[in-house]
Amino acid sequence: MKISIRDAGTVKIVEIEGDVDLGTSPDLRSALFETLLEAPKLALNLAAIRYIDSSGIATLLEVLQDSQRRNKEFVLFGLSPAVQQVFHLTHVVRIFQVFQTEEEALGSA
Amino acid sequence: MSLQLKFVMPSDPRYLPVVRGAIGPLAAAMGWDESDCRAITLALDEAVANIIRHAYHNRADGLIELECRESADGLEVTLLDNGEAPDRTRVCARAIACDQPGGLGTHIIKDVMDTVSYQATPAGNRFVATKRLRKTI
Repeated sequence: MKISIRDAGTVKIVEIEGDVDLGTSPDLRSALFETLLEAPKLALNLAAIRYIDSSGIATLLEVLQDSQRRNKEFVLFGLSPAVQQVFHLTHVVRIFQVFQTEEEALGSA
Repeated sequence: MSLQLKFVMPSDPRYLPVVRGAIGPLAAAMGWDESDCRAITLALDEAVANIIRHAYHNRADGLIELECRESADGLEVTLLDNGEAPDRTRVCARAIACDQPGGLGTHIIKDVMDTVSYQATPAGNRFVATKRLRKTI
């Protein structure tokens, strides 16, 4: 799994590439928690994710809860059909703010 | 001759991509479509990950035996391990559609597979799951 981070104004955009599973989700968790401290809004691009399991979804839920505690915004965009399927299977699709494109995700504030 | 697959692996999460790489194509060869193959792969990845986390407490030196077998009406998967037995009171204890991060994996397994059972046997903890292949005529 590769993680890259870039700025779009005051928003931090985190991009993930590869598989998020029990072995890789701790690295994603650390990156997202650290990045959330650096900006009022974090947008996570899931377009290049080939696979995500429940440990990855649990990580996203933890980051969402942390963002709410800190009065910050955490949004997702670029979900592939495979990732959407996991969101539906875990019944979390309505819990997150999910957008199709980066432009929509950035304009959600 | 029916399709089957059997291997033993360490309880190391680095083997999870190997499991996924085997299960998806096997399910496809048995006749499931792409979406079902993804769901079956996810469910079995979750089952193996649960063994790593809960039976072996993230120790990488345990052993997990995985067997997939094409049955008369679909797929039967058996996982064996020698870690701590599962606490049945915690299986699917999490409410669905809530924002708590834990306990998602067992719901995925239950939703995707048609039958799921956990047994403590002399050979170790035995997880068996089946999924029927619904053929369209």
